[in-house]
Formats: sequence, structure tokens, C-alpha cells
Amino acid sequence: MAIGIVLIVVTSGLARGMLGSTAERESAVGAELLFQPPGSFGAGATTTPLSLPVAYAEALAKLDGVRATTPVGRYVRSGAGGLGFELVEGIEFEPTAGHESYSAITGMRVVEGRVPKGDREIVIDRQRAADGGTNVGSTIELFGRDFTVVGIFELEIGARMKLPLASLQELLGTEGKCSSVLIKTSSPDVQEAVAARVEESFPGNQIIFTRDIPSFIAKGIPSLTVFLDIVMGLATAISGLVVFLTMYTAVSARTREIGILKSLGASRRFIVTIIEKEALAISALGIAAGLLLSLAVGALISHWTPLIVELDPIAAIKAGLVVLLGGALGALYPSLQAAKQDAVEALSHE
Amino acid sequence: MSREVQFEIPVAMMVEKAVQPSVEKERSVVKAVRLEMHYRMGRVTVPALRGVDLEVLEGEFLSITGSSGSGKSTLLHIIGGLLSPTGGKIFVRGEEMTSLSDSRKTQLRRREIGFVFQRFNLFPTLSVEENLKLAERIHSGGSPRHAGNGALRKELLGLLGLDGKSGRRPRELSGGEQQRVALARAVMNRPAILLADEPTGNLDSSNSELVLRMLQKLNRELGQTVVMITHDADAAAYSTRMVHMKDGRIENDTALDR
Repeated sequence: MAIGIVLIVVTSGLARGMLGSTAERESAVGAELLFQPPGSFGAGATTTPLSLPVAYAEALAKLDGVRATTPVGRYVRSGAGGLGFELVEGIEFEPTAGHESYSAITGMRVVEGRVPKGDREIVIDRQRAADGGTNVGSTIELFGRDFTVVGIFELEIGARMKLPLASLQELLGTEGKCSSVLIKTSSPDVQEAVAARVEESFPGNQIIFTRDIPSFIAKGIPSLTVFLDIVMGLATAISGLVVFLTMYTAVSARTREIGILKSLGASRRFIVTIIEKEALAISALGIAAGLLLSLAVGALISHWTPLIVELDPIAAIKAGLVVLLGGALGALYPSLQAAKQDAVEALSHE
Repeated sequence: MSREVQFEIPVAMMVEKAVQPSVEKERSVVKAVRLEMHYRMGRVTVPALRGVDLEVLEGEFLSITGSSGSGKSTLLHIIGGLLSPTGGKIFVRGEEMTSLSDSRKTQLRRREIGFVFQRFNLFPTLSVEENLKLAERIHSGGSPRHAGNGALRKELLGLLGLDGKSGRRPRELSGGEQQRVALARAVMNRPAILLADEPTGNLDSSNSELVLRMLQKLNRELGQTVVMITHDADAAAYSTRMVHMKDGRIENDTALDR
């Protein structure tokens, strides 16, 4: 039962923590608009090769109201230790003809070490350094190759690991391509007008206001909502089954006591009520243990892995109700069976 | 176990009984008419009762004796509404039990019948007082708010020589003490009839005597109707009437001179 609670609370906490953190970092990129090809998932995270020509960055930069653009390549890989996922970004560390550097738009700066210059060099943010126990000079394995961490950057924006866009293109075999283009407008006030202009000039692509990214993520990705619903359903089924088996065993072991109750004149309703109350008490204990366990598991995950767990009181309440309901329903059959038992047989039960 | 325990009937119970008119003394509490009971064991039908006629009057202390398989336990369970006969009729306080629904039978049992078993049948996880309170809750229809009669509980525990033991669990009591708690539980609702199924079967002779004297006292001073099953002729001697059963029939029905 406690496991059911942990399953619901920690899973929703993980989803909430990871999505919340992602939303915060994605919306803080300093650009007002994000331009990406049709069919992109969420805010540009993708496991498919880069597909948007970098030339779009140059073309977008020429539109009225656009101050600067920079292309970004994104790739999702398995997280450290095989847990979750981790986003890697390929960015322009230096301005090139036609578009700006990533730093110029976002304000990101390398505060320790230097920017990558070679093919196998990477920079990471402070959180990634702390989570992975890595620092300048350490190596990180990416795409089956060792990358040297040459710098630590500040401003937690976008991915926690960044390498030159050219390196990412080469590794993925997608030269001249990127995942999205960050568009900084001349003023935040003109972003709607610029978005309309982009839509008119390059129809069929996605234009996302970065200010909308948190609510966009908060609304949830449909498949994630379905996943959480499935977890909730499984937890309910597990809780119900556990209570059912517990109560069935308890009722069987206490057949004689049920016979005594009957001999004292206890009605069926009285017997069902007693067993249901016991089931609810067991469920309440399970909920309390599960919530404590969830706090501990959440703290351990946040401490020992790069994953973020943000426990949600609403999810905890829902989980509690689910387990209580599972407990009450799970105990119903054994209690009805107990109430129907033959008193004489029950009294002679050893 | 001390034989010096003096049994004083609780005042609350005395008052209850004192208001009952004496003309009801001879009223029938249980009446069995041509009672039949057959158990099916696979393809074989085993007769346990073969046309038993029996009437128990208010205020009687009836002992039913007989060897194993004579049908005495079956008869007791039918009187208590725990079993339904396969033939004949059984009346408790004038109500014909076989025609009653399960729910009505349960109500009748709760109101009119008290049970004492050979194996005490106390709830092991509850204290003496909690065992009595649970019975009170059941008698009151199951309401947890029912406060019960604390004074009666205390008086009964005193009567049974269980002063200071109300907080003990059954496993912390001797067999004799457990049976006395069971007896207190059975008479708490002042039932019309007390059914005792081998109440001394698990007790040594001194504890057996205590319990039998207690039953006798309840019968004599409160007019409590008692039906007791026993193998023991000495135990039966405490009753006012003895019925002997053999092969599902009543063989002898004797009034004892007391």
C-alpha cells in the first residue's frame, strides 16, 4: 500500500520537478521567440537528427523587428546512470556571418575555464558539475566518445551541457542543420508582430513565444498525462489487491472471532463495518508510511541523481484517496463473505 | 483458584428482575416441537435430532447430558438460532425461529440469548473490559457512541472475583477467570435464556465448581433461565432439571430435588 503511494507521489513529483525545471530554463533564454520545424516535440527537444537548415537563422535575422538570431541544435540522450534523460545543446559560441552567438542573446557566460575550441570539448553548468561530480578537466562520455569539460557556464538556461553546434552536427551527420532558432526582437512589445511576420514569411513552421513555455509544459504533454494516469491506475490496483489479500487473510485467520460476534448477536452490517474500519485503518497507516517513504525517496533521488523531484500536495491527496478507496473496496468482498459465514462452523474453526 | 469468592448479584440486575411479576414464573422460554436435524455428509445423511420435544420454562436451570453424537450440541445451537432445524419447530419467547429471517433471528439472539462456550471465546486482543464493552455495543445495535453500563460492568466483575483485572488481556488470565469473563459477557444484556455449552469442559475441579455455583446463583437469585450441556454428572447436579439424550432423542427428563 505504501508502495502504491510512493509510486504515485514520486512519479508525479519527478514529472513535476523535471518539467518545472525544464520550463524555467527554456523560458529564460533571453529570446522572445523560438522558431522550429513542423512536428517538433515540445520546445525543441528531440532524439531525431537536426533537421532545420541553419540558413533560416540568417533569413530570420533580416526580418523587421528582429534584433538577432542564433541557431541551436538539441539532442536528448539517456541521463547519467541510465536515469531519465539529458539534453545536450549545440550552440554558436562565436557570432558568424548572418547570426549572433548564443551568449549574445541569452547572456550565458563561461565563468570558469574557457569556451570550447576543439571538436571534443564541452561546457557544463554548475548544477551539472555538482550532480555529476565533474569539473573543468573532467571527461564526459557522449555519443560513445570522451568529451573534455573545458568550462563552467552560468545562467541556468537551456541544456546543462553545451558544445559547439558544428561538433553536434558532425556527430549526428547533419552538417548545416539545427533544431531551432532563437529570435530576439528589437523590443518585447513587438514580439507578436514579429511572430506574425515570421509566420507569413516561413509558413508551416512552429513559432513559440518563450513566455508561453512554462504554461505550455504545465498543460502537459498528452502522452505524459496518459502515463501518469496509468501509474495511478496501477497503484490503485496494487493497493486494492494488497488490502484484499490482507483482509482475506485476516478474515480467514479470525474466522472463530467472527463466529463469536455472531453468537453475541452481531448483525451482518456490524461485521462488515468492523472489517471495513480495520481496512481503512490499515490503509491510513499505509498512506502515512507511503508519504514518509515518498519524502525519503524524493530526497534521495534529488541528492544522488541529476533528477529533480518536486512533491505535489495535490498528487499526495489524490494518492491518499486512491489508496483509501482501494482499501475500502478491497476489503468489501472478504467482509461480506465473513458476514455470511455459518456461525457454528466459524465457532468450531481452529 | 479460591473457593472463598462470594457471589453477590449486582443491584442493577436485581432491580431489573424485581419488577417482573411472579405470575410469569412458569412462562415458556423455549419450546421445541418434533425437532429434526439431519446433516448431509456427501451422499450420506446423518440424523442428529429425531423428533425432539422439549419445553424450558422461565427460571429453570436445565442440564442436557449425553454422550458425544447424542445431539445435545445441535439442540443447543438450534435453540440459540445458530442452526436451523431440517424439521419441526422451535419457539423462543413465543417467536417461531424457523420462520424468521436471518436478520430477525440475529435480533432475537442479541436480545434474548446469552452464550457461554467451553473454549471461553473471548477476543484475545481486547482487555476484559473491552470484551464486555464490545458485547454491549452489539446489544445496543452497534453504535460506537453507546457508553454502556459502566456500573453494571464493575459490579459484574466484582461479583466474578475479577476486581482489578478489567485491563488484563485474556491470555493474562487463568482458564477459570476467562470463563467468568465469558459468563459476565453472556448475562450483561440480561438474556431470557443463558445457553452454556460445556462451560466447565476446560476447567479444573475448583474452577468448575466456581462457575457452576455462579450459574446456580444467577438462576436462583435472578431467576435466570439456564440451559447447560455437560458430560459431567456432578455438573448436572447443580441444575433443577436434567434431560438425558441418546441417538438424537430425549431418553430421560428428570426434575431434580433442590
